[in-house]
Amino acid sequence: MQVLIEMKDIIKVFPPNVVAVDNVTTDFRKGEIHAIVGENGAGKSTLMKVFYGLEQFNQGEIRYLGQTVRFQEPGEAIARGIGMVHQEILLIPQYTVWENIVLGAEPINFLGVIDRQRARQMVQSKIDEFQFNLDIDAKVDDISVAARQKVEILKLLYRNVSVLILDEPTAVLTPQEIPQLFNELRRLRDHGHTILFISHHLEEVLTLSDRITVMRKGKKIATVQAEETTKEELAEMMVGRAVLFTSHREKSNPGMEVFSIENLTYVDGTHHTRLENINFHVREGELVGIAGVEGNGQFELVNSIMGLIRVTQGKISVNGFDITNAEILERRRYISFVSQDRGKMGAAVKASILENVMMTHHRLNPDFTTWKGLILNDQFARQFTRQIEQQFAVVMGNQDNPFRSLSGGNQQKVILGRELLLDTPFLLLDQPTRGLDVGSIEYVHETILKMRELKRAILLISADLEELFRIADRILVLHRGKIAADLPTDQTNIEQIGYLMLEGKEKNLAKEAN
Amino acid sequence: MQRKLISGISGILIALLIGAVIMLFQGYEPLQTYGALFNFSLFGLFPLATTLRNSVPLILTGLSASVAFASGPINLGQPGQLLMGALFATVGGLYLDLPPWLLIPVLLLLSMLGGALWSGVAAMLRKWFNMDEFITTLMLNMIADFFTYWAISYPFFDRSAYSPMTPQINLNGWLPIWGEFNSNVLVMILAFVVIYFVFNRLTAGYEWRITGQNSLFARLGGIKIDKNYVTVMLVTGALAGLAGGLVVMAGPHRFLKGLGANYAWDGVMIAVVANSGLWATLLYGLFFSAMQTGSLGMELITAVPREFIQVLQAVTVLVVVAGRGYLDILFDKTIARRKARERTV
Amino acid sequence: MNIFTGLINGMISGATPILLAALGGTFTFYAGIFNIAMEGMMLAGAFFAVLGSYYFNSWLMGILCAILGALLMALIFILFAVTLKTDEFVTGIALNLFALGATTYLMRQIFNVKGAFSNPGIVPIPRIHIPLLAKVPFLGEILSGQNLIVYLTIVVVFLSAFIIFKTRFGLRLRAAGYNAPSLDSSGVPSASIRTWSLIICGILCGLAGAFLSLGYVTLFSENMSAGRGWISLAAVILVNGNPWGIALISLLFGFTDGLGLLLQQYMPSQFTSMVPYIATLIALYFYSIQARKRKA
Repeated sequence: MQVLIEMKDIIKVFPPNVVAVDNVTTDFRKGEIHAIVGENGAGKSTLMKVFYGLEQFNQGEIRYLGQTVRFQEPGEAIARGIGMVHQEILLIPQYTVWENIVLGAEPINFLGVIDRQRARQMVQSKIDEFQFNLDIDAKVDDISVAARQKVEILKLLYRNVSVLILDEPTAVLTPQEIPQLFNELRRLRDHGHTILFISHHLEEVLTLSDRITVMRKGKKIATVQAEETTKEELAEMMVGRAVLFTSHREKSNPGMEVFSIENLTYVDGTHHTRLENINFHVREGELVGIAGVEGNGQFELVNSIMGLIRVTQGKISVNGFDITNAEILERRRYISFVSQDRGKMGAAVKASILENVMMTHHRLNPDFTTWKGLILNDQFARQFTRQIEQQFAVVMGNQDNPFRSLSGGNQQKVILGRELLLDTPFLLLDQPTRGLDVGSIEYVHETILKMRELKRAILLISADLEELFRIADRILVLHRGKIAADLPTDQTNIEQIGYLMLEGKEKNLAKEAN
Repeated sequence: MQRKLISGISGILIALLIGAVIMLFQGYEPLQTYGALFNFSLFGLFPLATTLRNSVPLILTGLSASVAFASGPINLGQPGQLLMGALFATVGGLYLDLPPWLLIPVLLLLSMLGGALWSGVAAMLRKWFNMDEFITTLMLNMIADFFTYWAISYPFFDRSAYSPMTPQINLNGWLPIWGEFNSNVLVMILAFVVIYFVFNRLTAGYEWRITGQNSLFARLGGIKIDKNYVTVMLVTGALAGLAGGLVVMAGPHRFLKGLGANYAWDGVMIAVVANSGLWATLLYGLFFSAMQTGSLGMELITAVPREFIQVLQAVTVLVVVAGRGYLDILFDKTIARRKARERTV
Repeated sequence: MNIFTGLINGMISGATPILLAALGGTFTFYAGIFNIAMEGMMLAGAFFAVLGSYYFNSWLMGILCAILGALLMALIFILFAVTLKTDEFVTGIALNLFALGATTYLMRQIFNVKGAFSNPGIVPIPRIHIPLLAKVPFLGEILSGQNLIVYLTIVVVFLSAFIIFKTRFGLRLRAAGYNAPSLDSSGVPSASIRTWSLIICGILCGLAGAFLSLGYVTLFSENMSAGRGWISLAAVILVNGNPWGIALISLLFGFTDGLGLLLQQYMPSQFTSMVPYIATLIALYFYSIQARKRKA
């Protein structure tokens, strides 16, 4: 097959000194599905972004169709027939499907007015050509994540793109939606399109792609034929050592009930019921996981437990205390909380590490203040920060440095340290490993399991089913604000949970209903 | 710290350079003009004392805006709060008869009360009705302007005067003057020390700072952000009100029409250029005061109109602020480029 | 003169500058710019309108200079906020200060006066008498004989709504505000859309300024925009940028302006001057109540 894209010695350094892509040389062929795999932070997205013109590379050369190219912005790449679908979906929720697709390449009449008729026709014909099933007049806000992804792809096809770059397209999909996407991608390849596919899920990479390039820490490790390799080999190249795919979780023996939610309902300002009659409890020494497609009530559940929203009905209690309407500070006596978004909920990134570590402790632990809580006890806070540094193996440097100067893994360790040292009976962990590298994920998992041994009651919300199966004792499935299932981990499997996440009911039950 | 100094000093130098170009364009002599400007503001006991005295309302309104911005609330109401503070102090000074050691603190407290009352209105509008303080404080500025104008035109009007103003306040309420130095500077320094301590050492100050950086994080950490919001609004209003009280008690000893006009946006301007840092607010306050103080002398010597300083101030703000962001990016990019070159095999 | 027509005419001339500036603000609002510089742009417009009209003895040159003056402010905004990526709020504050300082300085420098400049040599923008309409009783007094800019403003309202909701530029403009990265990845640099929205805002604020100094009155005085830019910002926020809503709300503010004039017979002028600002607070109150209902 003809070589379409050649990259030679590409280097990209993010200011001031993060080397994201380190001397990468590779090539992509016309009409192939080529996967680029690697851990978080391995540089696979960055490599594609510098090609696409979203970022500028510092050194090296890229040749496309035999010509040296350096796109200054995505518009130039699109003009040459290259399109990219980003990890976070970049659509305008307020616009309809067709408006999103034509944006930037709108058919107009002589007054500059958009020719709706023609635009809708052109979009519809593309949809028909590739057998995408979409309503062009639907508002993007109202359609599913999978449909939005189709819109993104169509947006590129509308621009007659022949090279498609997809950045972790399956991350937002449920297990059941993935095959459909793969069929569409194969159909595109058969139409002569070239597909570059970024992923870190090895199984799907092996089923879909023709060739696979593995990256680790900014460097290219190898490019292999998909049929000539195995999952284990790929994993070893990715991580740099042999990886065990089995969990070594010990059986838990939970004790007293610590945390419970009874008949919880939350109706928001637009009269949508976001949580409906939720009931569950977590016992000491038990790790309960919550699975679900994003946007099925996880956000509202976390917010009602933490007191950011006022629940419409129901009761939340910890250790027998009713905290349903308690002040947040009162809740924090019982709840440690690790949020999914460190910069938004977990820390003030521009404030110093010290100031971030003090949070909540400064009100709950009298040692942090003097004069009846009026004045801060700087000395104690510094000592406490050192304790976290040692106990949680944080690479910290100066405590007065801004929090954001820490790496993602170290940031999460500091947050974990702060929250776990609150010494509360209940831990609420909302996607605590999101965006971390494998080493840090392992550390976080170990810490969580250690807490379970210490008889803490733990609620873990996660979008990563593998994570739940690795460490959770029980899995609850949240679907459209309701608990669709409550299953012990060892009595279920990923496929069953995946189906429940999507449909909200058991597969066999669905068949019976038919 | 070093970057801040570099960006501040280079920003001021570039602004002065732009000012010089404008002057050259109009046929003025830049060096002579700047010479006169700083001669009449910094060199000599009297100029220095005047600069210090004039810096008080600038620094206090600047502190008000800085503390507010750094803690979250976009309190743009310093002009109105200053006017209300000045009015309260004036009215107190007109009707109270106390010995100086009592009257002066009472008037200072009254001015703080006036400012806090006015910012309190905005705080309550936000607390009860969720109205954005960013616009309400602006509207309250205009309302305070007309209200104080009315107050000095009718109820507290000095019948012997030709334009709207109040009579002079009780002599016991005048701030003492030692030689060239006005004691309003002492009050300002005291206020600075207190605010600095509260902001950096107190538990409350810690909560304000963190709330200003990330209010959701602060709220989840158990901080009562609504309560702190009201406190910050009241404290910053009191600071601006104090500025107004000091203007009356140190200077004309009465409320003249247009009293606040000179300080209208200066507080916000200083907070913005200082990036809400307290020390930087103090330093920029002194610098802007020097420019304003020297402008009279400059006009006298070189015929460059005094209003030129207003242009120069705005240019300084733009250049320093734009430079601050740009310099950071530039530093980082240079390091990145060097690193990439090292990596090439 | 009839009190009622007086009130309505007061309302129209009070509303015009706010409406024009707010329409300018709505373009930047849709482009996702936190633009608080309308006050400064309007002030610059007002000054340069007087300058142009006085030097060229022509109101048309006055309008042209007003637009150029306000555009200059917009270009500074673009340089700092769009190109150098300085904080928009900070840029706006500094620009307002700059406009205030620069117009005061230039008034002193060029006309050698302090406070205000008025001169018979300043040619005001004419009022337009519509031949047939003028004869209609009552309605004629309102519909005919308004300032040229008033009629222009009505056209601008329709034009703005058309551009924002029907044209390609409008689709991209709103996209820049809703989700700029999406527009960028569609191959349209959002920075250029922002730049254009600021240029439009500059032109409209220039017109607003020209109306202030060559229509509403025929003079320039220090800080004569007097918070109107802020009121127009409030108007934009209150109706989420909708041009029709802005027209309505500006008329409401204009009405309070006219009402203030009317009330001057009964109370001190200082209180009547407060009316538009109090009205803004009241409008904000209703907005917040509505917003809370929608959210809670």
